[in-house]
Amino acid sequence: MQPHREERAANIALATLCAASVVLMFLPLSRPIRAVRACVAHVFEPMVFAGAQGTERLALVPKRARELMEADIENRALREEIARVGMVKAEMESVRAENARLAAALGLKVAEGKTVLWGRVMERDPAHWYHSVMVDVGRRDGVALNAAVLAQREGTVVVLGRIGEVLERTSKVLLVTDEFSSVAACLSSGTVEGLIQGQGTERLRMNYLHSEAVVSPGDQVLTSATSATFPPGILVGAVAKGYARDPFLTFQSAEVRPAIDPASVKEVIILR
Amino acid sequence: MRGFTYFRMTALFVLGVLVHWWWTTYLSFWGLAPQLLMVLTIVAAARRGPIPAMCFGFAWGIALDVFALHLMGATSLALVLAGYLVGAIRRQMDVASGAAQCVIVAAGTWAFFTFTGLLELLFTRHFLWPGWGMFLLAPIYNCVLAPVLFWCWDFVIES
Repeated sequence: MQPHREERAANIALATLCAASVVLMFLPLSRPIRAVRACVAHVFEPMVFAGAQGTERLALVPKRARELMEADIENRALREEIARVGMVKAEMESVRAENARLAAALGLKVAEGKTVLWGRVMERDPAHWYHSVMVDVGRRDGVALNAAVLAQREGTVVVLGRIGEVLERTSKVLLVTDEFSSVAACLSSGTVEGLIQGQGTERLRMNYLHSEAVVSPGDQVLTSATSATFPPGILVGAVAKGYARDPFLTFQSAEVRPAIDPASVKEVIILR
Repeated sequence: MRGFTYFRMTALFVLGVLVHWWWTTYLSFWGLAPQLLMVLTIVAAARRGPIPAMCFGFAWGIALDVFALHLMGATSLALVLAGYLVGAIRRQMDVASGAAQCVIVAAGTWAFFTFTGLLELLFTRHFLWPGWGMFLLAPIYNCVLAPVLFWCWDFVIES
């Protein structure tokens, strides 16, 4: 009798399980199963919902669960963004600190809110040797028109010119030797102030010096506190010679040798 | 289901599903993986008779339907029938030899493909064709796996 009982039990189990399977086949379970699968997949691997396929899969999920999952996805994206911003901020802080350190090392007093930007000289125009040079930083680096451009010579910061034209990735530096350049300056020997003007040659001319001022060759010429572009006390050059006084003029002039030969400049410092 | 505690049954079910998922996800070559749960159902039927095999087949079939998003209940019905048929013929056929196991598994694999395909056709108007590669190579893959699973069953469950 035992085999018959087992056979009958097997037949009953077969009928029951087959009936359950057939009932399952008739039930519209595809959508809820997809929804459950989407939820489970999100728990284990949230990134599978990225892109168009993810949007399609999310559409299957019930509204409340979808909102939670979307909030979770958004939360993850924002966390990544925060981490990225944190890295950018740390990098910026590092650059700022480096700028401050370099500026301090060079003895440069940068006005509040201004930063130092280094650039490389990338091009010189042979036809305008004393007029301008191109540097490899531009608008995207925060370079602005008329920004002061300095150069380094034996550890000393000296005046090179100002930004005359700004492009996206490059800028044109109008050299202090250009005819259209002028810088308010004073002599190191006293408080005598004048205006340095370019000549289009290797030499500069310092005009509007007080007629009674004593100008001696070798006097250093520094930027004045009245300069709108340059910080005060930056070396412009040295007096080469004083011009003979013109009785018809109320001031005297001097020839100034620039502190740096533009042809020797490879890197520049831009105050932005 | 003498000798089977609920815990062992549940553990076997979960283990079977996990191994099947792992194998098909990480160890399939050119999309080919053995139908581990179908072979396990046949092994259970050959060793324990139709009732445990049908129970496992039903549960594993539901899991496969959920995994593969097939017609819900189709795979479970196929595995229930496989468990019943193998459980019924085990008294007429010696399933201890490797050759007999391979014959049963190969025939079961082709019958499984055909049956589930026809069920899909009946309910969704679309014949579920696994592709020629799967249709021809899966039985070989399953035949290679079958003796190993029989041995594992004897070693782990029956001992």
